[in-house]
Amino acid sequence: MELFTYLLLSGLTTGSLYALIALGIVVVNKSTGMINFAHGELFMFSGFVAWMLHVQMGMGYLPSFAIAVAVGFLLGAVTNLIAARPMRNADVVGLVLATIGLAFVFRGAARVIWGGKGDYLSFPPITSPDPVTIAGIMVIPQQIAVLAGAIVIMLVFAAFFRLTRAGKMMQATADNAKASRLVGIRIDRIYMLSFGTGAAIAAAAAVLMAPLTLLYPDMGFSFFIKGFAAAVLGGLTSLPGAVLGGFCIGVIEALAGGYISSSFMEVSAFIVIMFVLVLRPTGLLSFGKLRQV
Amino acid sequence: MTAPLLSVRDVSVSFGGVKVLDGINLDVKPGEIRGLIGPNGAGKTTMLNVISGIHPPHHGDVLLDGASIVGRKPSDIARLGLGRTFQTSQLFRGMTVLENLMTGLHHRTSSGLLAACFNTRRHQEEEEATKEEARQALEFIGMSAFADRPGSALSFGQQRVIEIARTLIGSPKVVLLDEPAVGLSLNRLAEFDLLLRRIRDEKGVTLILIEHVIRLVMDVCDQVTVLSSGRRIAEGSPDTVRNDAQVIEAYLGKELRARHPAS
Amino acid sequence: MTLFGRRNVLLAMFVVAAVTPFLVNDYYLFIANTILIYVLLSIGLNVLVGYTGQLAFANAAMFGIGAYTTGLLQVRLGWPFWLAFPSGAVIATAVGLAISLPALRLKGLYLAVSTLAFAQFTQWAFLNWETVTYGAGGFKTPPISFAPLPFSKEIGLYYLSLLFVVVLFVLAQNAVRSRFGRAFVAVRDSEIAAQSLGVDLLRYKALAFGISGFYAGIAGGLYSALLNFVSPEGYDLFQMVLQKSMIVVGGLGSIVGSILGAGAIVVILEALRAVKGVQEIAFGAILVGFVLFMPGGIAGFLKAKLRGWEEPLHRTQGGRPPPSTLVTPSEKSEVRS
Repeated sequence: MELFTYLLLSGLTTGSLYALIALGIVVVNKSTGMINFAHGELFMFSGFVAWMLHVQMGMGYLPSFAIAVAVGFLLGAVTNLIAARPMRNADVVGLVLATIGLAFVFRGAARVIWGGKGDYLSFPPITSPDPVTIAGIMVIPQQIAVLAGAIVIMLVFAAFFRLTRAGKMMQATADNAKASRLVGIRIDRIYMLSFGTGAAIAAAAAVLMAPLTLLYPDMGFSFFIKGFAAAVLGGLTSLPGAVLGGFCIGVIEALAGGYISSSFMEVSAFIVIMFVLVLRPTGLLSFGKLRQV
Repeated sequence: MTAPLLSVRDVSVSFGGVKVLDGINLDVKPGEIRGLIGPNGAGKTTMLNVISGIHPPHHGDVLLDGASIVGRKPSDIARLGLGRTFQTSQLFRGMTVLENLMTGLHHRTSSGLLAACFNTRRHQEEEEATKEEARQALEFIGMSAFADRPGSALSFGQQRVIEIARTLIGSPKVVLLDEPAVGLSLNRLAEFDLLLRRIRDEKGVTLILIEHVIRLVMDVCDQVTVLSSGRRIAEGSPDTVRNDAQVIEAYLGKELRARHPAS
Repeated sequence: MTLFGRRNVLLAMFVVAAVTPFLVNDYYLFIANTILIYVLLSIGLNVLVGYTGQLAFANAAMFGIGAYTTGLLQVRLGWPFWLAFPSGAVIATAVGLAISLPALRLKGLYLAVSTLAFAQFTQWAFLNWETVTYGAGGFKTPPISFAPLPFSKEIGLYYLSLLFVVVLFVLAQNAVRSRFGRAFVAVRDSEIAAQSLGVDLLRYKALAFGISGFYAGIAGGLYSALLNFVSPEGYDLFQMVLQKSMIVVGGLGSIVGSILGAGAIVVILEALRAVKGVQEIAFGAILVGFVLFMPGGIAGFLKAKLRGWEEPLHRTQGGRPPPSTLVTPSEKSEVRS
């Protein structure tokens, strides 16, 4: 039982990070119909930026967080400008290859700037690393901090999407691209906003996660795949679905790692993604939404 | 009374609780040109999708030459002699016009992969025959000069005509045409009348035609079926349909005036 | 027939390839052999991605499966290379065919992601299924011998690779010119029209996946013999991006382009061997640059600039969908539903 609660908690913690990455993927997909294959690399790169600010330059955690999120937004906008915007009317092959190309540019750049393969950078914890026991359950404060941080980010994002003008514009495009063009919403700006916002959420996830684990240039892709698995689980266009999917993937992974074998941790998301896409391509959590005629 | 070549029996389709087709019946005799008209959203294209196997009906049956084709793959239905064209241009843009037409002969050629890889004599002969037949088909529509142009370099109207030829080359019994006259200029519309009749008379192909250009439908069709909101509201000769009060109310009244203010 | 017509250029390339072992040292022979292996990979991948339009990322995995099967059958079961090598190709083909089953239901982005997940899963199996694969460290394969023939292993393997390249190039070239190539391109350009003409989508997608698996399996077997070593590292995501770069640079939908692309990318890779980060930046940038500015690749460029350079069934520039201003949104959705 103790093992179970421990696994559940750590699953929820990593799950909250996957949920954030999935949110970024869904935000982009919802309003542009595209998938940014460089999403994981933007996540990784922003994490490194925060490391540079916090560890190398001695800036506080929160200012580093804010700057990294801003950098993430900019990188997302740049991705849109270079790889997505010119591909808007092209076929999907072009779009995917362009964003994958960009992903490798980011990955290579991180390797060149912050060290070679095998160099794992560590980020100092922001809370005490010792576990505490609350109501008989062993809890690592850092995990609670990450979980709480992730939920705060989700709430902030939900408020942004519902209450601000930019958020409402993005939602309108998601509902109907043609109609929103008619009412004068500039599609260019929406694309930039969506890619930027998606990457900013990923950046926030990266900085949140950094104290919990190590940073390395190859980390982006595996987080992207897991975030994508979460997004797919939620149906790829549903924001709450992405969050729920993220927690599911996190918990599945933790339980598979704890009860089967630790090597299964890495691979369970891939298995989920293959099965979900093949058996139920509309997502497990979509409730039979039918296409309009 | 000849037996119908194509018959649709009590077909219903619904999407998300909305009945797009509601108990539709349709019998088309061999050699007929049948018009299928109705306002936007009446379910015309869904009807073609049901017949060609892209969207299986939730209820009802479709018979081609007396045999049910419901539940078969679209490619199998095509092999059984049902051709169709689409509302938007579906020309293969990476091929030349001639190659597009040769693709139309796909199911009538039989070379295996190994024969093709090793370019056997039999395969070469079949390729030559395919090419020759494609040339003749281009001649039929009077577009021989376009043989080696890439599909992407044609005007919209030309693409539509090539698509019709691409379907015809496979010797179908029935061809479903989804708004073939979209994008044709008024001058070409007259030739198009003639082309449809030639297809029926010279190729012996039965046609089902969705069209918004009412003049074309009235000129060329033997029988016209009118759909509105997924139901058949009228059927008969163009003259009968033209004077049907329900049709005027449902279709001509709203649609035609809006679309063709001059006519 | 112009001097720089397609046939002459191909003949010249063949002559250069045939005399290479007499002109260069072992290291450059190794590079040349690597190019030949990548030519096989990119021809197979081009049939799948360039011709049939199936954006799959499992090629590096099938390459790995070919190499692992060839190697493991020799090491674990003591099979001779000449038996293990074709078996590797058969297994890789079978895996390719198996991947194609979900591919009928998945399109575009979904296919891309699910095959990426499959590739990662394969990589994971190479790393963690230690009782079979020897795990992260990989394993050595026995050196092959061309015993009755008077060749060293290096030269023998080079000519074996060249033989496969020539034969498989000709077969692929014939196949894409035939009704099979037309069916592939039909599936790529319009699935809905392809099936209305009697082209069975499942069958031709499966065929394209099988062909790419077969080519990757052959390449994998040769690669394991070239290195005398198999480890998970060679078949990872970077490998996948390399192969994608080759077909994009050479030209999507061009068999000759696959040769040119493979050659160009291997040479660049060698030139940048020192720093992995720089390699990644270079290949990423090349991929983006070609997709944006030269979507026809080198083959598209040659086709446009040289008279007599015929490319059958070439991908159209940029592959933009036709203008559909004449169709209102409501009518469009009716087609799809």
